[in-house]
Amino acid sequence: MEKMEITLNINDKSREVTVHPNETLLDVLREKLDMIGAKESCGEGVCGSCTVQMDGKPVRSCLTLAVEARGAKIKTVEGLADGEELSDLQQSFIDHGAVQCGFCTPGMLMSADALLNENHNPDEKAIRKALAGNICRCTGYAKIVQAVAHAAEPGDHCSDCKS
Amino acid sequence: MLLPRFDYSQPQNLEAALDLLNAHREDAKILAGGTDLLVRMKKGLIRPKRLISLKSLKELSYIKKEHDCIRMGAGTSLADIISSDLVRKKARALFQACEKVGAVTIQHHRGTIGGNILQDNRCHHYNQSDFHRSGRQACHKDGGKICYARENADRCNSTCQSDGATALMALGAKLVLASKENERTVDLDQFYTADGIKPHAMEAHELLKEIIVPLNNAQSDYQRLAYRSAIDYPIACAGVQLKPSENQKDQIEDARIVVGAMGRAPLFLAQAAAFLKDKSIHDEAAFQKAADACMDSAATFAVHNVGSTLEYRCEMVSPMVFRALKEASQALENAID
Repeated sequence: MEKMEITLNINDKSREVTVHPNETLLDVLREKLDMIGAKESCGEGVCGSCTVQMDGKPVRSCLTLAVEARGAKIKTVEGLADGEELSDLQQSFIDHGAVQCGFCTPGMLMSADALLNENHNPDEKAIRKALAGNICRCTGYAKIVQAVAHAAEPGDHCSDCKS
Repeated sequence: MLLPRFDYSQPQNLEAALDLLNAHREDAKILAGGTDLLVRMKKGLIRPKRLISLKSLKELSYIKKEHDCIRMGAGTSLADIISSDLVRKKARALFQACEKVGAVTIQHHRGTIGGNILQDNRCHHYNQSDFHRSGRQACHKDGGKICYARENADRCNSTCQSDGATALMALGAKLVLASKENERTVDLDQFYTADGIKPHAMEAHELLKEIIVPLNNAQSDYQRLAYRSAIDYPIACAGVQLKPSENQKDQIEDARIVVGAMGRAPLFLAQAAAFLKDKSIHDEAAFQKAADACMDSAATFAVHNVGSTLEYRCEMVSPMVFRALKEASQALENAID
């Protein structure tokens, strides 16, 4: 098994890493690049907590080899905020109490962000469909869906909406 | 979970991929989307020495219409199939099946139609971690001599849970298998070996290149039952195709019924389908009778190894087939109007 020098484009920055072919994108992000936003939970593509975007599409980084991610524009949860300023979607998650234990949140954000980039005004059904592959064991789905709806179009989505 | 060690190749064209496959044969596995293969590798079920990635083979990703068929590259992503108007209109069962595979966005952008057809058979006794399996005797598929799913079984009873295979078999699809020396076309209904350990009739040096779906005036439908629609494999599913008579549009000339996730291969139930010949497309009593016959046939093959109870899965075959027949006949009726 030979080591490979690869270049990954992560959050619009070019990162050079040496990897073994059997390292997944998630392993490389967390262990080699110290980007611990994406989480490993099931490790077999069921739970969605490792979701990152490749060329705008949400993918499971635990089932993507790092060498297969060459050439793609990778976006992780670290790429959502602009410096210290959170994105609308992130702020909406906080405002709506959509974060409980927080373990599923990076995956939820990346799936939701991919949806909002494609569909600027999704209805509840579209949001639930887009998030169907992300599991929240705190079962806080209602707040998460409200947060995404609010980020798409601020309005009267929930009783305790602050803005 | 860590992946076992392997060498990695990323050939730049089909010829190079076939050369590599020919050279490494059993030692190599093809990596397309990876959603089935990498999970099995993480669990230590297979340890290929080399993975041959199809990532650079854009030539395997296309959907083309010809005068009597649709040709799809095996590397076409499920997302591309779902967004194809041609598939939606002319091969509805396939559209419905692909739409239901895995999580809506995530698996679709990685998963390919070829990988869906070639996914390994599954069994909840076998598809477990190394640790889980190390605590007990090996089953047939693990190199042992017992079966946890069916007592005293002399062979592996793992179940084929592919959505795509069930739908494509109902549509009468063909597969094009390429190897270094030649290329051959096989009917999908002849492709499954009903052997839980080696479920597909293809050689180690062959690569699934293309899927051909014939075009005709028939209508198809696919129905599936799963625990959680977004992430689970089907525990019972049915694909049907109804072909109307040339002269009398509301009469069924030919029917194809395939029941999936109930046996070692998708079950092509010719006898139940033959019963529908010359029946009216409005004859729901006949649909029910055929669906019940499918349930009886499927029950003889199914074993308790993919979740839920066996009784429930068998009972649900009938409504799955009935719903699929009703939807397909409705589509036929709409076509007359």
